[in-house]
Amino acid sequence: MPVIDRRSLQHFDWVLAGLSVAVLGIGLLNLYSAASPGTETGLPAMFRRQLIALGVALLAMVTVIAIDYRRMERWAMPLYVATLVLLASTLILAPLTRGNRSWLIYGPFSLQPAELAKLGLILAMARYFQRNPPSEIHHLRELLGPALLAAAPVGLIVLQRDMGVAVLTLLIAASYLPLVRIPARAWTVVAGAALLALAGLWEFVFKDYQRGRILDFLDPSRDPLASGYQAIQSKIAVGSGGLFGQGYLQGPQTQLQFLPTQHSDFAFSVWAEEWGFAGCCVLLAAYLGLLLWGLVVAHNSKDRFGAMLAVGVVGMLFWPAAINVAMVLGLAPVIGVPLPMVSYGGSQLLASLIAVGLLHNISMRRYIF
Amino acid sequence: MEHLSGTEAPIEGRLRLIGALVTLVFALFVGRLFELQILEGAVLQQRSARNSVRTVRLEAARGEIVDRAGRVLATTRPAFELQVVPNDLKNAQLEYEALGQLLSRDPEQLREAVGQPRGRSRFQPVTLADDLDWQQLARVETHRFALPGVETRVRPRRYYPQGQLVAHLLGSIGEVRQDQLEKASFAGYRAGDVVGQSGLESRYESHLHGHAGGRNVVVDAAGREVEVLDEVAQKPGDRLVLALDLDLQRAAAQAFADVPEGEPERIGAAVALDVHNGDVLALVSRPAYDPNDFAGGIDAETWQKLRDDPLQPLRDRAIQDHYPPGSTHKAVVAEALLAAGVITAETQTFCPGYFRYGRRTYRCWKRGGHGWMNVVQALKQSCDVFFYTHGVELGIDRLAHFAKSFGLGRRTGIDLPGEASGLVPSSSWKKEHFHQVWFPGETVSASIGQGYNLYTPIQLAVSYAALANGGKVMKPRLVLRLESQDGEVQTRVEAQQVGHADVTAEALALVQRGLTAAVEEPGGTGGRARVPGMLVAGKTGTAQVVGLERTQGMKEEEIPFRFRDHAWFAAFAPADNPQLAVAVFIEHGRHGSSGAGPVVRRILARWHEEQLAAGPPTLGGG
Repeated sequence: MPVIDRRSLQHFDWVLAGLSVAVLGIGLLNLYSAASPGTETGLPAMFRRQLIALGVALLAMVTVIAIDYRRMERWAMPLYVATLVLLASTLILAPLTRGNRSWLIYGPFSLQPAELAKLGLILAMARYFQRNPPSEIHHLRELLGPALLAAAPVGLIVLQRDMGVAVLTLLIAASYLPLVRIPARAWTVVAGAALLALAGLWEFVFKDYQRGRILDFLDPSRDPLASGYQAIQSKIAVGSGGLFGQGYLQGPQTQLQFLPTQHSDFAFSVWAEEWGFAGCCVLLAAYLGLLLWGLVVAHNSKDRFGAMLAVGVVGMLFWPAAINVAMVLGLAPVIGVPLPMVSYGGSQLLASLIAVGLLHNISMRRYIF
Repeated sequence: MEHLSGTEAPIEGRLRLIGALVTLVFALFVGRLFELQILEGAVLQQRSARNSVRTVRLEAARGEIVDRAGRVLATTRPAFELQVVPNDLKNAQLEYEALGQLLSRDPEQLREAVGQPRGRSRFQPVTLADDLDWQQLARVETHRFALPGVETRVRPRRYYPQGQLVAHLLGSIGEVRQDQLEKASFAGYRAGDVVGQSGLESRYESHLHGHAGGRNVVVDAAGREVEVLDEVAQKPGDRLVLALDLDLQRAAAQAFADVPEGEPERIGAAVALDVHNGDVLALVSRPAYDPNDFAGGIDAETWQKLRDDPLQPLRDRAIQDHYPPGSTHKAVVAEALLAAGVITAETQTFCPGYFRYGRRTYRCWKRGGHGWMNVVQALKQSCDVFFYTHGVELGIDRLAHFAKSFGLGRRTGIDLPGEASGLVPSSSWKKEHFHQVWFPGETVSASIGQGYNLYTPIQLAVSYAALANGGKVMKPRLVLRLESQDGEVQTRVEAQQVGHADVTAEALALVQRGLTAAVEEPGGTGGRARVPGMLVAGKTGTAQVVGLERTQGMKEEEIPFRFRDHAWFAAFAPADNPQLAVAVFIEHGRHGSSGAGPVVRRILARWHEEQLAAGPPTLGGG
């Protein structure tokens, strides 16, 4: 049974807890502002929903902390397969919303299994690298195993037609690449395969509007009305923040809802408008701190499974954050990827907090032999 | 298990590398934030403060639709909208009063329409009138200074100068629906866009629609543009040139409207085709609707009226409804009998006024009987017994084969959405749908077009065109070409033959003689379609609506309208050099001859006039 012995508790990772509370706090503060326009009295509906999701996610996190992560190694493959099954079930059960089938809906609850599939993937990857130390991987063919592990969820997500998440999952799997020792020649093959995969997605999977967004990014004057509009409005919102921002609940762009998805994909631009350069630096610093601390946890882990799991968690938090912020700042095309732990969205919050829970788990048990 | 910390140096180095890469990315973000918020911050802040950037949509004018002579059927005109931005109303009560006077509307109603929106919606204009006339526009514009928050805006609006005349061909437009927006074919569309929802407007949506442009502008507090950031010009839609002859269309429509005192206006459909290339020269369905009602978004009341009208004015009866063909079918049956060798030109059959088959007796429409008949006479007088007798010899499956070879019982492929397929029954069809064998007795009714057969008016017109042109089954051609707005031809639609009737030249000649006799000779059933100066070939038809027992003993005038028989008339002309095929269907029109004949005559007469005006008739081709 899950137990946290006294010794583990003594080693509770307060730095990690502090950093994640900071990021979560900023997220909630920001969501309150982004969701408040249009609300007459009381808490904005979206804010309330997010609070409920946070409760559920915290519960899940505590559970994950309680179970010794070393037991999880044994459960890694079954869990991985379970998330795949859940993912596959969306193809049959999920209704088509906004052009893709990625949500399971039961009454008032909806779940995006792709978020959980990322967790399943890093568990399976960590187990694989526990058995096959990455520092001893010298040939490309030895990467076939992890490649297949990644291909299954990515393929299923592609079938759901959720492109942003598919690319994201692929990138999370790629987070392990810096650890292996393949020769320079092999890197060109990896790069080539990546390009080929992108070309395939572009040609066969992307829908017209998705291609349009990417073309819009490369040539903003192509269609200033569609995603070009969002990009321009986002740029204005961010820029008008200045050094110290327009003030909380005061951002005109936000309060007039110039950005269609300001509570989710464009949450960062709301923060930037209302809190300015200073606020952005605080948020980015907290986030970077969390990621680097994750790497420290990986470094201090007493076994390879823990280290590999921690690297996966860092990848899981880094990629969506990097893509989201780049999009808001006009450095990447407008693709719908939320900022983990800051944007509105329950599934994303649940998966992120489980991931943070894994970090706590590994960190707390670093002295147990 | 091994302990990693410090012991496995290779991993440690790589973790540092990952950390460095992550930090680099975040440093890049901070740099970009510095650029946007500190370096450009002042400019962007100003833009934000002045309500910043607005996107002005430049709507593309929808392409015109014109007839073969270039006469406009659908075009786009400017319409002036009156909008109110709730946030900018300085003295709402006074302004509503003033607007009420200017627009001749109840001020309270206007106030309710705008309501009291909060948040962002305060800045969203509410449209109070979508099509101001010139007087209203002038009045509003002269008082603009006293009406802050009131704006007028010009938008392109669809206009159909012919009103109801071409309604079903053109179809209607309307705001794009949510389920459409999710389809790939509507990828570039946004909620509120106007799209074709039926008819040609829908079928050629992608060509007619054009591309909206847009302009990102910086506006000041008063909503005036102070700076244009970028602009993409709009691209108007293509022009659709139809094969339609507006004069012929008008003649056909008028024939439906001109009825004797006290009679209800005719309900039904008429189709006129060029027999050689399948050009749709006229296509009328009555009753009709005015597509202009849809142009600015149809109001609920008008829509409900159209939708609930028992006469279903929105249906295109020429292509969407199919009916039993009645005796118009006899022409194709005669072709089949001749081509299959069941009869020859010389075959004589005696009509005593009835036909006994098994235990049943089938009556000829002429109680006293026609006497001895050959195929030409049988067509002329529409003798049922002649067709009963030989139809049974031919059998249903061979009959079905020949009928299908004329393009009957399947969609003609006309370029309009929602075409009905019609039905040519056969023994295998019955087995499949009723799990029953075909009874030979059913062949008796089928050979005079009263069985399961169902044809659309357009199908019947195509089959009569094939009778007239030597057996070519043509796809009806609605659109001749697509042109860009400056007249450059984008696409040309070629005439398309989709099949060939399984007949012989001799059979065709005989049937043409029979059909000509039916109209032109005394004693023929189709005399009402005669046009002075031109030989006409044609066949009447009557499709029973209810069994005879329902109306037994009633005088014709006493039979309730909805129980009256449907009337058909199909024809081609000139009989000696066929060019035009016509099919007319009149719902509850009683008899083919009296119900549909006059409409056919009007269409043929109008066409004949045009030919005379154009000089000596040309031969075929085209």
